[in-house]
Amino acid sequence: MTSIPTVEAVRAAVATVDDPEYPGISIVDLGLLESVEVRPDGDVVVGLVPTFSGCPALAMIAEDVRAAVAAIGGLTGPRVDVRWLSGPAWTVERLTGTARRTMAEEFTVAVRIGAGPVPCPRCGGDTAEESMFGPSRCRAVHVCHSCTEVVEVMRA
Amino acid sequence: MGRTWASMDEFEAFLDDGGTVEADDEMPDDYRQAVFAFIEMHANSELMGGLTERDWIPRTPGLRHKMAVLAKTQDEIGHGHLLYMVAADMGLKTRREMLEDLFAGRSKFHNVFHYRAATWGDQVAISFLVDAAALASQQAVFKNCSYGPYRRILKRIIAEEGFHMRMGEERMMLIAEGTNFQQAMFQQSLDNWWWPALQLFGPDSKPDDVLLRWHIKSERNEVLRARWVQKFAPMLISYGFTIPDPGLVHDAEADTWTAGPIDWEPLKRTLAMGGPDSARRIGEAAANWADTRWVREAMDNAPDRAAGAPA
Repeated sequence: MTSIPTVEAVRAAVATVDDPEYPGISIVDLGLLESVEVRPDGDVVVGLVPTFSGCPALAMIAEDVRAAVAAIGGLTGPRVDVRWLSGPAWTVERLTGTARRTMAEEFTVAVRIGAGPVPCPRCGGDTAEESMFGPSRCRAVHVCHSCTEVVEVMRA
Repeated sequence: MGRTWASMDEFEAFLDDGGTVEADDEMPDDYRQAVFAFIEMHANSELMGGLTERDWIPRTPGLRHKMAVLAKTQDEIGHGHLLYMVAADMGLKTRREMLEDLFAGRSKFHNVFHYRAATWGDQVAISFLVDAAALASQQAVFKNCSYGPYRRILKRIIAEEGFHMRMGEERMMLIAEGTNFQQAMFQQSLDNWWWPALQLFGPDSKPDDVLLRWHIKSERNEVLRARWVQKFAPMLISYGFTIPDPGLVHDAEADTWTAGPIDWEPLKRTLAMGGPDSARRIGEAAANWADTRWVREAMDNAPDRAAGAPA
């Protein structure tokens, strides 16, 4: 017996997948989910956008998404196709408020939006850029003028 | 801002109550020294590990794993960078002094980076066994580390190391299911790396270990080591590999795996910079530092970027 998942159920399943480098932050809150298509035969196509095309976690994320969608309750294993889309480009504007809050509170990671100084997630003071690149291509390293905290800044 | 403590007793009571020390606090000198030395060794190890990882970028088989090695190199160097910043902020040595000490063989880094990674099998063993050992010891620090700036950096480092370990596990399973040649290569790597990885945890913690007393670490070395053996010995055996420890004991009833007697001489040699690959590694790191001088000079002479403005 085949059954067809709803788009909402697929979205909810994708939302249970955390970023491998940010445990506790869903890839949906990170803005990676671009599209969900449920075909008349029940097959599912999930379209994701990478933060950076060279991101080493892409295969792992795709695997986690496939497993999460395939495990939707009451279904006899829909066939799941996860695609990394070449557009639209991921930008920091795609991060939800939840993702930004968790990054700031749990990981001391700030997000650069627009020009101007990036506030320290710990004390709110101004930070200055120390290096354009941190441990990941999507993050710069800043240091806080007020509390001397070393802060990573996510950027587009 | 800048708390002070009247005595060591008062400071230790503060730590025992779960207090967090911040960079601008007037912490006792011995505590500052202990935390600093610990972070410096961690930073050195990230840098030395990143340089080894870098050597494997052109040699890694397959685009996907090559991308992962590329990213892991950036991770390790980036972690080293963050840690050197936190360490330098403690005011005992500048970043440049720490690097100079490292390249002159005057400061420590983890034992595993005193050995040579000669084959892809070695790299798999490292990303599987050594990364797991490093992650376990970092988690034991992170849990309750009394020094706030380090604990917050560790949270991000641990999240990324967890990702490396997943890659390592995947590589190990791939090689375990590979050709006879690949399996034999991995067994050889296991023979070479099992003991260094196990010794990464260090000898049993002494009863008066200040790292434990001041809540820098929250678990004893022997506990972490035993847990690692308990996890990896049965896993590797189930994949058909042999653990190079004739004293390894499996208590079938309790299903526990216990390592045999440990020869600590190799660890002592690495700490004295006399490991099998110590001199070459330090030389390569120093040469890399010299070769990249022009980059630092270009950065230093670049038109000043306004504070926080987009580059």
